[in-house]
Amino acid sequence: MLVRNRIVLLSLLGWFVVLSGWTAYAPADRQFWMLASILPTLLVFLLAVTHRTFPLSYASYFLITLFLTLHMIGVHYTYAQVPAGAWLDESMHFDRNHFDRLVHFSFGFLLAYPMEEGFRLLACTRGWLLYYLPVMTILGLSGLWEIIESWVARAVHPELGITYLGSQGDPWDAQKDMTAALYGALICMTLLIISRKWRGSSSASPAHGTVQMSS
Amino acid sequence: MIMTAKDSWQGQPVARNRFLHGLFAGYLLLWGWLAIAPVDRGDWLLENVLAIALVASLVLSVRWFQFSNFSYFLITLFLAFHAIGAHYTYAKVPFGFYLQDAFNLSRNPFDRIVHFGYGFLLAYPIRELLMRLAGVRGWWSYYLPVSAAIAHGGLFEMIEAFAAQIVNPELGMAYLGTQGDEWDAQKDMAAALSGAILTMLCTLASSKFLPNRLAGALSS
Repeated sequence: MLVRNRIVLLSLLGWFVVLSGWTAYAPADRQFWMLASILPTLLVFLLAVTHRTFPLSYASYFLITLFLTLHMIGVHYTYAQVPAGAWLDESMHFDRNHFDRLVHFSFGFLLAYPMEEGFRLLACTRGWLLYYLPVMTILGLSGLWEIIESWVARAVHPELGITYLGSQGDPWDAQKDMTAALYGALICMTLLIISRKWRGSSSASPAHGTVQMSS
Repeated sequence: MIMTAKDSWQGQPVARNRFLHGLFAGYLLLWGWLAIAPVDRGDWLLENVLAIALVASLVLSVRWFQFSNFSYFLITLFLAFHAIGAHYTYAKVPFGFYLQDAFNLSRNPFDRIVHFGYGFLLAYPIRELLMRLAGVRGWWSYYLPVSAAIAHGGLFEMIEAFAAQIVNPELGMAYLGTQGDEWDAQKDMAAALSGAILTMLCTLASSKFLPNRLAGALSS
């Protein structure tokens, strides 16, 4: 692995660790912080373990880091009380804090490309399926997330569950969250198709180093 | 992509496929019978929009893509369940009431059963579609149908929610079939997910232990 790759990846990892440390310092709700940090930690661990055998592009690592950054900010303030969201709420006259919806949207918008890369390199997917599968996966994982949220909300701690779920009293919250992620993924894939058409290449070059893997 | 006769999935051509004729005729008879006097005509119409679209696209696409007979059988079974649910507006299906009494449930579970059936019955056709049309192979062919089932289940919940909010809210609630459960959407998706996982485990097991024999017998 090139030295430059190592520096980029280590600085992204360093950023995540520092950010996690910052959000761990006096979070709004300690138990929520613990609960909501499990999945990001697992994801980062997985990426760190697989970065040699299955390297993603810089763009993907950067997008994933950006998404985790947004998520950790939400976790620190327990989503419904993120200052940026509250500010947006006041200035745009929304009736609720929209930060969680924004993060659901960015789940689709920021993670659809890394998934596209995964399907392209790991599953050797081609053609229309290459753009369809990331959207489908985003939608599926959003649905799975809503299911897990509802289990946690009912099982772990009813009053913590409401915060964790972050529905803020909206019965359609789950559907709206999934819609936000779907829009994010659709926009990302549309931009990707347009940029590839524009640059005249049907599929981008693989991530740094040639990866030849069969499923 | 046009499939050749050598394709191992495909059964007899449509014109000579007795099984397919019987399946289609049986479904039309059942559907027509249930269409005569549904419990709630408005809800019946709303429920049937997607069903009619699915049947129409299957009929129109058979020239380019013919599923195996087993897949058509599963799809028809699902559509039959859905036709029964649409006739009785799901929350009032007699068989569901019977189950509710027998197992002391707080609600009519028929719609949950059909959500489970959606994953359980349609995961195999989805797998076939992915493998034949998109060349999906290996463990992806078991994972992607599960992902598809939960994704499209979620999409369906979203469409339901929009329909309920836009269309007549009263009818919307009947159509939505939450029966007053705030976690209904999540439970429905979980039912579809577990159905799809079960089917993929069965498919995996049958491909390991019964190589080609059962699949061959069912599809020809």
